[in-house]
Amino acid sequence: MNASTTNFFEAIGAPVVDIARAWGSMFGCGLRTLRAIAMARIAWREVIHQSYLIGNRSVPFITVTLGFLGMISVYQVAMQIKQIIPDFTMLGPAFIQIMIREFAPTITGLMIATRVGSGIAAEIGSMTVTEQVDALRMCNADPIVYLIVPRAIACMVMVLMLSIYAVLVSTISGMLMANGAFDINMRTFLSLQLTNGDDIVIGAVKALAYGFSIPIIAGNAGLTTSGGSEGVGWATTRAVVSTSFAVVVLDFLISAAGYIFT
Amino acid sequence: MSGDAVIVCKGVGKRYGRKWIVRDIDLEVRAGELLGLIGPGGHGKSVLLRLLAGLATPDEGEVRVRGKNLADIDPFELAELRREYGYLFQNYALFDFMSVADNVAFPLRQAGGVEEPEIARRVKERLEQLGLGEALDRFPSELSGGMKKRVGMARATIGEPAIVLYDDPSAGLDPVTSSKIFRLVRTMHHSQDDVASVVVSHDIDRMKVICDRYVMIFEGKVLFDGPEEAIEGADPMVGKFFFGSLGQSSGAS
Ligand SMILES: Nc1ncnc2c1ncn2[C@@H]1O[C@H](COP(=O)(O)OP(=O)(O)OP(=O)(O)O)[C@@H](O)[C@H]1O
Ligand SMILES: [Mg+2]
Repeated sequence: MNASTTNFFEAIGAPVVDIARAWGSMFGCGLRTLRAIAMARIAWREVIHQSYLIGNRSVPFITVTLGFLGMISVYQVAMQIKQIIPDFTMLGPAFIQIMIREFAPTITGLMIATRVGSGIAAEIGSMTVTEQVDALRMCNADPIVYLIVPRAIACMVMVLMLSIYAVLVSTISGMLMANGAFDINMRTFLSLQLTNGDDIVIGAVKALAYGFSIPIIAGNAGLTTSGGSEGVGWATTRAVVSTSFAVVVLDFLISAAGYIFT
Repeated sequence: MSGDAVIVCKGVGKRYGRKWIVRDIDLEVRAGELLGLIGPGGHGKSVLLRLLAGLATPDEGEVRVRGKNLADIDPFELAELRREYGYLFQNYALFDFMSVADNVAFPLRQAGGVEEPEIARRVKERLEQLGLGEALDRFPSELSGGMKKRVGMARATIGEPAIVLYDDPSAGLDPVTSSKIFRLVRTMHHSQDDVASVVVSHDIDRMKVICDRYVMIFEGKVLFDGPEEAIEGADPMVGKFFFGSLGQSSGAS
């Protein structure tokens, strides 16, 4: 092979190898986390601490975002309906169904991905570049067990709870909008007529999947950080991009599976 | 003086990107021996120390600890070996989310088998010995560089390890504390039979008091390996570095 073909293969090969490596380390991280959870290697005190950090500070964000989302979407849809058939009886039930099944977990997931994902990547990233992770290793404290597992459990629980909260917030704000602007009876709006068990299961599965993948991806970005504070910055950016992307992809996959299997 | 080889490096090389940081390193660390690792700044001492602890994997050659190749042993064997290690990081690497006392207690808690009151007693004793009796409940971010180094020192030695690696234990410390630290290195070394210690330092005068043998790393290679008496016959660089003029500021490429 002459020099230019070597360069050609290098130019094509290097990114492919890099991407494969990144995926490999991410899945490795996920598997090791699952194994540690299965073997019950869990520091519950740390889980509670992390849950507090994740949950507590996310409530205002969720309240504002989902509150407005509820009002805006009810307004938009009601305006459309008004032009076709002025019958609002199914507006509430349809709204609640799609919130449970789709928007509450996914919007919550996206918000947690940016807020918590960046926090985890920055924290673990700076521990990596200051060799604290190596110090853990020297003491036989597996960084996965010690740093990732508590965050993964906390995040799963919190995304699920925040999603439930998000359904409540958006439903209440949507109901108030429906009542205030379109004079829809609150009882009529607040109906689970269209919601069934499948919707709840799909919503919950989404919340748990996002909650698990966010700390894994962000934590792995942190653990693979190199090169000082600049590296931490890159790891944080990478974590936000990949966790948000993961939420969208998981949303698609789980929705698709939901329509196929139910 | 020297017993069996505890750590053996054969043709070890490590590179970052395309640049070899260390290469062709042949080195033994023997039981009961206090080895001084010297050399100009940026020539690969810390990288070599990380290789000796299995924190970095060589791109060439192998590092064997008690006969086992660190690159291909299973995690349980690695954990078993790591229990024997103490490691002082050059930049302390203190856990910043834990108090000083918890930092120092961490290796003991992690190893298990020691009761909490006993841990507390030992931690207090070790920190007092290093002049940090007051700092127990403070956090690393509230300490000066020299204090952090001493906390790191306490954490590295609390478990009475059989293989101890010190990366620049006296950097940033006043002369009195430096002497104290080197005395602790020696005390640790003789606390049990057959401890293998490696000290990286630029503090050659204090090393002369305690080290049995020296290895000089220059541009990522072993330039000298032997006791002080053998320096005369070695590369003149070594003598210059060891006995005077060539300090840590020069030499780095
Ligand atoms: N993770 C890394 N990535 C890239 N280069 C590195 C990395 N770690 C070390 N190096 C490079 O390796 C070389 C040797 O570094 P090392 O820290 O071993 O020096 P040192 O001999 O310990 O210096 P000092 O006495 O100042 O501590 C340096 O040129 C450094 O830039
Ligand atoms: Mg160094």
